[in-house]
Amino acid sequence: MRLFDRVRPAVINGLRELQANKVRSLLSMSGIILGVASLVAMVTVVQGMVGNFRQFVDAMGGIEKITVLREQLPKEQEHLAELSEGLTMRDVDRIRRTVPLVRNISPEARVGYEKIVYEDRETNTYVTGVTADYLPVAKRWVEPEQGRFVSDLDVHNMTDVIVLGSAVVPELFAPNVDPVGQVVKVRGRRFTVIGVLNNIEGTGMQIRSANSRSSGGAWRYRNSGAFIPVSTALTKYNGNDRLSGLGLRIADPEQLRDAVEQAERTMLAAHKGLRDFSISTNEQTLEDFRKTEAAFKLSLGGVAGISLFVGGIGIMNVMLASINERIREIGVRKAVGARGSDLFLQFLAEAAVVSVVGGLIGLLVSVGIVSLMNFILMQALPTGAVATLDWVIMGEGLAFSVVIGLIAGVYPALRAAKLDPIEALRHE
Amino acid sequence: MPPLIAIRGLRKTYRMGDENVHALDGVDLDFQKGEFVAILGPSGSGKSTLMHILGFMDTPSEGSIVFDGEEVARLDPDRRAWYRSHRVGFVFQAFNLLPRLTVVENVALPLLYRDNSDPEANLAAARAALERVGMSHRLDHRPGQLSGGERQRVAVARAIVGTPSIIFADEPTGNLDVKNVDRVLDLLGSLIKEGITVVLVTHDLSVAEKAHRVISMRAGLVQEDRVR
Repeated sequence: MRLFDRVRPAVINGLRELQANKVRSLLSMSGIILGVASLVAMVTVVQGMVGNFRQFVDAMGGIEKITVLREQLPKEQEHLAELSEGLTMRDVDRIRRTVPLVRNISPEARVGYEKIVYEDRETNTYVTGVTADYLPVAKRWVEPEQGRFVSDLDVHNMTDVIVLGSAVVPELFAPNVDPVGQVVKVRGRRFTVIGVLNNIEGTGMQIRSANSRSSGGAWRYRNSGAFIPVSTALTKYNGNDRLSGLGLRIADPEQLRDAVEQAERTMLAAHKGLRDFSISTNEQTLEDFRKTEAAFKLSLGGVAGISLFVGGIGIMNVMLASINERIREIGVRKAVGARGSDLFLQFLAEAAVVSVVGGLIGLLVSVGIVSLMNFILMQALPTGAVATLDWVIMGEGLAFSVVIGLIAGVYPALRAAKLDPIEALRHE
Repeated sequence: MPPLIAIRGLRKTYRMGDENVHALDGVDLDFQKGEFVAILGPSGSGKSTLMHILGFMDTPSEGSIVFDGEEVARLDPDRRAWYRSHRVGFVFQAFNLLPRLTVVENVALPLLYRDNSDPEANLAAARAALERVGMSHRLDHRPGQLSGGERQRVAVARAIVGTPSIIFADEPTGNLDVKNVDRVLDLLGSLIKEGITVVLVTHDLSVAEKAHRVISMRAGLVQEDRVR
C-alpha cells in the first residue's frame, strides 16, 4: 500500500512529462512501437502458419499414418521381377497378424482418372478402391446426413456402390438434388451413390501445395475423388489382385519408428526379400515444416528482439537527456525532502510510462499489420481464412515492452537518485 | 530554554587536488527558536557550507550538531531527507519552482515526500500556506506566469508548508527588484512570530541589517556575532 502511494504520483508525473514532450517521447518510443508491433504480428502470423500446417498434416493422415506404396524393383533385383507379386490383400492380412502396433490398415487400389456420368452431366476424378478402414487412416468421415461410407459387407459382396468427394458433388448434381441414392456411371458400369465425404476446409493461412491446380489448393485436391469397394475395383476394373498402396494407422505416434521397422520386416519376409514396395511417413514433412517454422521464428523474432533492444536503448538515451535537463528539478525535489529512492521511482515510472504508451501504440500498429496481411491473403486466396490476433499474444507483447522500459529506466533512474542535491541546485 | 540548534567545533574539509580546503574551520554557534538571523560573508567564507550542513543537505567532517535535542551531525541520507521534509524549509535566490507544476502543486511538493502523504490534505495545506504569503489568487498558475516577487512568495509558501522549525533563505532577494526586496524580507521576518527560526544567508549588508542578529563569517570562521 505504501509503495502504491509512492508509485501513483510518480506515474501521474510521468504522464505529465510525456504530455509536455510529445514529439520527443514519440521519437523515443519508436523502437518500442516497432518492436512490439513486429513481435505481435510475427507471433500471430507464425501461429497461423503452424495451426494451418497441423491441419494440413492431419488431412494427409497425420503423423500416425504410414504409407506403403508399390514400387518398381531396384536395379540389382530387376532380374527377379517375375517373382514379385506386388502389394495384395495378403499383405493386409500379414500386417494385421504380425504388426500389433498398427491399428487400421487401408488397402487402396487405384482404378484411374475416370469419367463419372450422371444423366447429362459428367466430371473427371480419381476413382479408388478402398475398405471401411480408409476413414480412420485418412482421418475422414461421412456426416450422418450425407449417407455412409464403403462397409466390410460392400467389400465382401463386391457391391457397385460409390462414395463421392465433396468437390465432385456440385459438378454432377444440381444443388437441389440429393446425391445419395442416385445412380452414376463409371466406364459404363452403374454405381449407386451411398455417401459424400466430409468437406475439408482450411483455416488459418493457406499452404500452397504442389497439387494445387486452382484456387483452393491442397484442400480442393483432398475434397475430390470417388471411392468404391476395393474388391469391386480389383475384379471389375483392374483384373488382377495388385493394390496401389496401403495406408497404416498406428495406435501411438510415439511408436512410429518401431511400427515402420516391424512393417518393413514383415513385408520383406513375405515378399521373399524383394524390395517391390516403399514405406514412408509424414514425419519428414512435419520435420521440414518444423525447420521452416523455427527459421521464421528465429529471423522474425530476431528482428523483433533487435528493435525492442534498440527501443530500450532509445528510452534510456532519452531518459538520460531528460535527467540532464532536469538536474535542477532533482536538486529542488531533494532539498524539499525527496529521498534517493523517491527520485529513482519517479524516473523509473517515467520510463515505464513511455514504454507502456509505446507498447500500446505498437499493439495498434500490429492490428494494422495483421489486417493488411489478411487483406492481401484474402485477395490471393478466396477460400483462405486468416491469421487472427490473440489477446494473450498482445498481452505478452505489452508485458515485454514494459520489462524493456523498466530495464532501460534503471540506469538513468539510479543516476538521478545519486545526484548530490547541492551540486544539482548549483547546476545552471 | 535550550537552543534549537547548538553546533560545536564544526569543520568541513574538501580535498581540492592535492590540498585540503577548510570550508569550515571550527565553528561554534547557537540558534534560538524564533530567531531572525543573518549569516553575512563574501563568497568562500563558508556561509553556504554552513547552511548546507544545517539544512541537512551535507554532513560535517568533524564536530557536533544538536538539533532540537538530538545529535544530527552524522545521519544517513534517508534520515537527512526526513529532516529536510519535516524540520527545514529552503528559499533560494533563483526561486527554484518547478515550471511544469502549478503554484499550488509546487507548494505541496515537500508534503509529497512524507510517509502517509494524502494528496487532498497536501493541497489544502498548500492553499493555507499560499494564503499566508498573500498568493491565494494564483493557485493554478504556472511559475512562468508570475513576477519575480510573486515567485519568491510562492517559494516562501513552499518553505513553510511543512511547518518547519527553521527556514534557510539563500540570497532570497538577489533576483528581486527594490520594491519586492522589502516585501519578501518583511514576509520572512514575520515568520518568527510563528516560532520559526529564519536564517538569511547573504553577502549583502543591507539585507543582513533586516535581521535581529548578524553573524559575519570569513575564511571558515565566525568573525563577529552581533545582536542588534
